[in-house]
Amino acid sequence: MKISVKRTRTLAALLAAAMLLAFTACGTENKETESSPITVTDMMGREITLEKPAERIVALTPSDCEILYAIGAGDALVGRGTYCDYPAEVADVPEVGSGSDTNIEQILALEPQVLLMSTMSQTEEQAKQLEDAGVRVVISDAQDIEGVYTAIEMIGALMGKDEEAAALVQSMKTAFAELEEKAEPDGSKTIYFEVSPLEYGLWAAGKNTFMDEVANMLGLKNCFDDLDGWASVSEEQVLERNPDYILTITMYYGEGPLPEEEIMARPGWENVTAVKNGAILNLQNNELSRPAPRLVDGARMLYDFVYGEE
Amino acid sequence: MREMLEVKALSVRLGQKQILEDLSFSVGEGEWLMIAGPNGAGKSTAVRAMTRGVDYKGTVLFQGQDIRRKKSVELARCIGVLAQSNPVSYSFSVEEVVSLGRYSHAPGLFPFFRRGTAEQKPDAPEASQNSDRDMVEYALELTGMTRQRGQSVLTLSGGELQRTFLAQALAQDPRLLVLDEPTNHLDLLYQKQVFELIGEWLKTPGRAVISVTHDLSLAKAYGTGVLLLDHGRKAALGKAEEVLTPQVLERVYRMDVYGWMRKMLSQWAEET
Amino acid sequence: MRVHKERFSAPEYLLFTAVTFGIFCFCVCTGSVSIPLKDTLSLIRDAVCGVIGSWIDHTESVLPEGTTASILLAVRLPRVLCTALTGAALSLAGAAMQGLLKNPLADGSTLGVSSGAALGAVCAIAFGITFPALPFAGTMVTAVLFAFLSLLLILGLAYRLDHSLSTDTIILIGVVFSMFVSSLMSIVITFAADRVQHITFWTMGSLQGKGYPDVLVLLGALVFFGGVIFLHSRELNAFAMGEENAGHIGVNVRRVRLVLLIAVSGLIGVCVSVGGTIGFVGLVTPHMLRMLTGPNHRRLLPASLFGGACFLMLADLAARTLLNPRELNVGIVTSLAGAVVFILIFYRARRRG
Repeated sequence: MKISVKRTRTLAALLAAAMLLAFTACGTENKETESSPITVTDMMGREITLEKPAERIVALTPSDCEILYAIGAGDALVGRGTYCDYPAEVADVPEVGSGSDTNIEQILALEPQVLLMSTMSQTEEQAKQLEDAGVRVVISDAQDIEGVYTAIEMIGALMGKDEEAAALVQSMKTAFAELEEKAEPDGSKTIYFEVSPLEYGLWAAGKNTFMDEVANMLGLKNCFDDLDGWASVSEEQVLERNPDYILTITMYYGEGPLPEEEIMARPGWENVTAVKNGAILNLQNNELSRPAPRLVDGARMLYDFVYGEE
Repeated sequence: MREMLEVKALSVRLGQKQILEDLSFSVGEGEWLMIAGPNGAGKSTAVRAMTRGVDYKGTVLFQGQDIRRKKSVELARCIGVLAQSNPVSYSFSVEEVVSLGRYSHAPGLFPFFRRGTAEQKPDAPEASQNSDRDMVEYALELTGMTRQRGQSVLTLSGGELQRTFLAQALAQDPRLLVLDEPTNHLDLLYQKQVFELIGEWLKTPGRAVISVTHDLSLAKAYGTGVLLLDHGRKAALGKAEEVLTPQVLERVYRMDVYGWMRKMLSQWAEET
Repeated sequence: MRVHKERFSAPEYLLFTAVTFGIFCFCVCTGSVSIPLKDTLSLIRDAVCGVIGSWIDHTESVLPEGTTASILLAVRLPRVLCTALTGAALSLAGAAMQGLLKNPLADGSTLGVSSGAALGAVCAIAFGITFPALPFAGTMVTAVLFAFLSLLLILGLAYRLDHSLSTDTIILIGVVFSMFVSSLMSIVITFAADRVQHITFWTMGSLQGKGYPDVLVLLGALVFFGGVIFLHSRELNAFAMGEENAGHIGVNVRRVRLVLLIAVSGLIGVCVSVGGTIGFVGLVTPHMLRMLTGPNHRRLLPASLFGGACFLMLADLAARTLLNPRELNVGIVTSLAGAVVFILIFYRARRRG
């Protein structure tokens, strides 16, 4: 009995992880209608119609919160998921849980017109429960940068902020294009994205991740692009693939060595080019792991790190 | 006659229940005390108290020494026990089980220290100078388990298992043997053999036996003394012929024991 | 009927050592990155010569350099050593518990002792329990302590429910205790939500990234606690024949049981604090080896020591190489094997009644 409990959980976790990776972007064109009612096709292809732009909204994923603030609709946010932490003022918004611990009653009590969630952390049952209670559930599910644009435009439409959204998308596109332009790749430099440190089992970002996309944009080769999504990798492989740059997203808790220092001190890593050159960057605020406008900031930091600040 | 075991004002309480109350008796050298009584009279508990298997009030002296003050190995060299049942779950061989009876005679972790103290021990049995090997052979032979020595205890019958653990207790070379229903699982032939061999074992000077039994005929036939227990108290103590009288038995068992026995026996008389 | 000798003989020791060493070499030569055998051997030769040379000349040791050397000497070798030691320690702890409780299903993972130890490690992380002198001792001390407390709690409960500690009781208590621990774990996680990743690590065993300091810690624990268990092999035999009987033949039941429980907690706690909960090692290897050596602990314990090392080294090899370049947690591999053996033992125990 005991085994099955434990194993099932592990299996479920594995399956869930596999499914996440398998989900491909289903970004769709949203129909922008200037006059009410607003009809939006969400990123699962479902049509949602609103009488007028939403004034009360709950967002469960950190990225959707970031988008709301970025298009100037932060005031409409009346509830947020546990892990929403950017920008700082989001902390003042009531928390309604996250994932399987999402507090449905609390969400209903906040009387939102729209709930923004992703397929990643919420279940269909939760979505149905909320829809039965009259809350419009909109799913944002960006898997690549193009998907982020779609999400921004979709959220802009929901909030009646189409222009702001379009401007944001445009500015992101311009910024990325600039970086791509400026980058002078010689096509040989590799980068290793560490999403979980050695102490807790190495995980790297493979292809179909934002990090991989940004790396390609900047003319870098992700040294684990033979893997899909985030994957646990062998330490030996990192040494063997010998990356020129290392980007870690490990959080620092204010005790022990900094994540960069920890990597530098790993026995056996002294022959890795990135360690030899001290070319390790720590982006611990999810700049490159969230489908949000701050991807631009992350890309800029990586650019500055690789090509030097101007 | 030297007293081997003296029990003084023994009381045992398990939870709310008083199992034994104010029990006193003694066993001398060469004696075989039979403890009998109805179910729940406290026979097994009395046996467990004598081997420190249960917390008790009162005193138990072995050759004048309080058993509470003895180390576990010292006590094991004095008193050997055969428990009522010995469930096994690993396939030890008969010989391995019997050999472990020599545990209390082994030099232990620090042979140097052990040897230093052993000489002062008045109870160090002479026979422990026999090699462990010889004692194990002797015990196997006495219980008739020599042939099955290599067999796994998991494959033994109830009787064979009982004899294996009896052999273990004998290999321990104790002065006093305490047996809790030793013939519980044995067929008639082995019942007879076990009682005969214990009688034989007892002939060596400086030994004594206490055994719990339900079989009053056996108690009468082999016991030099009988202790009758009833509801945790001593109902009668003395020579077999003094204790096993119709009046005493009727009081303890609340039935006509003699009549019942006679009826049982008379069946056989009619057959022949 | 096969008669087993009382002790492990010299040829048997030799055989087991040879097999273990063979598997060790195989595991060092095989990995995610393939290094030719010739290079492996010359690297190890150079490293050994370098170290010995530095001892003789009292100079800085000259070790081979380069990526291949790093992979082999700094990553793979310490990991395989850690794996072997962890396997040996867990297997020894399992064999000791099975003897002590006279039940072939008793093990750190089935009873929930490993989970208890993991909870200890997690508490140390979540509440920042550290010892300034020894940075990694915080989790280790709490893991050992929690392992011991778990054992006391589990056995206290078990003896109250059913003094003979039947298989059903063992399983029942294991399930209940594991559920209890996992809910405590969830509570700790809500208090330290930002460290979920760190905390979940302890529930899934892995030996990735282990270095020579870990090797030394494991070796120390194995020599000390394992030594205690080895010195009590006769007492373990007595317990395995029945606790009451052990008392009758002169075993100081209470003291020996306490000493053995402390030794078992020490082994499990140290292993968990190094590699997380790697389940079922202590269940699988003693069970397999008991078929080979018989239940006598004077033979079973040395056999388990070697067998556990071999089993975990092979399991870790599978974890390292099966999905190359990805890695599996070694705990997943051992649990797969463990579940099958668990059912097998349970089935046999049931049939015997």
